[in-house]
Amino acid sequence: MIAEQIAASRCPRCDMLVAPPSTYCPHHPVLMQPVTLPGVGEVVSFTTLHTPPQGFRSPLHLALVELDGGARFVCHGADVRGLRIGAAVAIEAIDDIYYFSHLGAMERARLFWRRTGRAGDRVNAIARSLAKRVWKGRDRAAS
Amino acid sequence: MREVFVAGAGMTRIGRRSEPLPELMADAAHAALAEAGLEAPDAIVVATMNPEEFLGDGNFASHVATQIGFADVPALRVETATSSGAAAFYAGFAAVAAGLRQAVLIVGGEKMTHLTTPKVSELIGRSIDPYERAYGATMPALAGLVTRSLMSKTGLGQREIAQVAVKNHANAARNPLAHFQQAVTVEEVLESRMVADPLRLLHCCPISDGAAAVVVTAAPSRVRVAGIGQGTDTLAVRHRRQLTAFTATRMAAREAYAMAGFGPERVDLAEVHDAFAPFELISLEDLGLVPPGKAGRVTLDGDTALDGRLPVNPSGGLKARGHPLAATGLAQIVECVWQLTGRAHGRQVSGARHALAHSIGGLATNNWVTLLETTG
Ligand SMILES: [Zn+2]
Repeated sequence: MIAEQIAASRCPRCDMLVAPPSTYCPHHPVLMQPVTLPGVGEVVSFTTLHTPPQGFRSPLHLALVELDGGARFVCHGADVRGLRIGAAVAIEAIDDIYYFSHLGAMERARLFWRRTGRAGDRVNAIARSLAKRVWKGRDRAAS
Repeated sequence: MREVFVAGAGMTRIGRRSEPLPELMADAAHAALAEAGLEAPDAIVVATMNPEEFLGDGNFASHVATQIGFADVPALRVETATSSGAAAFYAGFAAVAAGLRQAVLIVGGEKMTHLTTPKVSELIGRSIDPYERAYGATMPALAGLVTRSLMSKTGLGQREIAQVAVKNHANAARNPLAHFQQAVTVEEVLESRMVADPLRLLHCCPISDGAAAVVVTAAPSRVRVAGIGQGTDTLAVRHRRQLTAFTATRMAAREAYAMAGFGPERVDLAEVHDAFAPFELISLEDLGLVPPGKAGRVTLDGDTALDGRLPVNPSGGLKARGHPLAATGLAQIVECVWQLTGRAHGRQVSGARHALAHSIGGLATNNWVTLLETTG
């Protein structure tokens, strides 16, 4: 299944956003409110594990991505060649597992122009098609 | 609050050990008690991170107490992941400071080398947020994320990071109880196998067995506990705004300095949690021992070497003394006590009066800072 949006939650007291959603804010004993965020963000950091835990293929690429809106998110990626901290990436779920893929200059420009108009679903349609393209035929090792 | 003193300290050789864990812990405990001149303590605090899974043994406080010959002494166990030893020290300190006990034995240990590296990595990884773990995140993976962010944000280079490992190996080579007894070069560090890009094998601490113990008392001795602080942070790394400083260390340091009534400028030597070499650089700044942005420079300049202005990890640190998890926080305190009392043979820092021990639990979710000072 391809997710349209990323499920997250917001603290009504401090506005902190977390993904996936939590019942309580990590910093307040307050129930969080469910929100959804577009699957587009920026790479905070990334690494490649050369001896990943059992159930994962080597090399295992992991990225910490900050979604538009501020929630940070851990996900897998197909490749980190040419990836930089601060790079724009699309996030997509495949079988409930999130993956990032690098957004090229053209896609970033398209995203920018779409977002100034009616955002939301169009942004995600682009993100989805990118992730589909990158991930077609791939699957994650059993975990 | 009463004053609390460290009356005895002992530890085993760290490394691959064939003895059962309770036996290693008994050795460390008896050494600490002998130095304190005590046949038996009033109470025991035991630190082990995960004997249930590493060894298949539970109820470990009673297990260890019985092994040492103290089935009749009240014992409890404390756990805060990789900083469990420091947390146990706090529990023992608090009992004496509150006047509940006169003399408490604090003993920590772990045994892991009988398991395969992937299995050990998986068991240590249980302290990571379950969602992040589900993506294959291990401690080296999260440390890799931290390190890449650190290098990008601060301009810290491979040489500064590698120098931490080089320095700590050089110190361990002078410590007969250390896991590693040989020096390494910057080139060897930079050519070692990639573990979690940009972290390489020689940036990471080894898998070690061992035990360490101290006795804390209300009766005065040569070393006084000046301050203890605890700091915490979110379990999930993704819930943090900042990767390149550890909030939990900063909080713990603030609390410890406030209790001690002095600041980092008074510290003569430090044992710092360098499970991954770049963590020493992050921690030096979090602890206020080095001005922001200067940790790499002072390390390259030799300021943190054994003969430097502020020796850091004279024991060899987690990197080279070894990291038997729950023993580590106490092994750091043992090293500080030996340094303060002139017994760190072969690696003695001259004239040290104030020492700092810094322990990280999990990926900096539960950290401790302990300050010790001489009374003489
Ligand atoms: Zn909140």
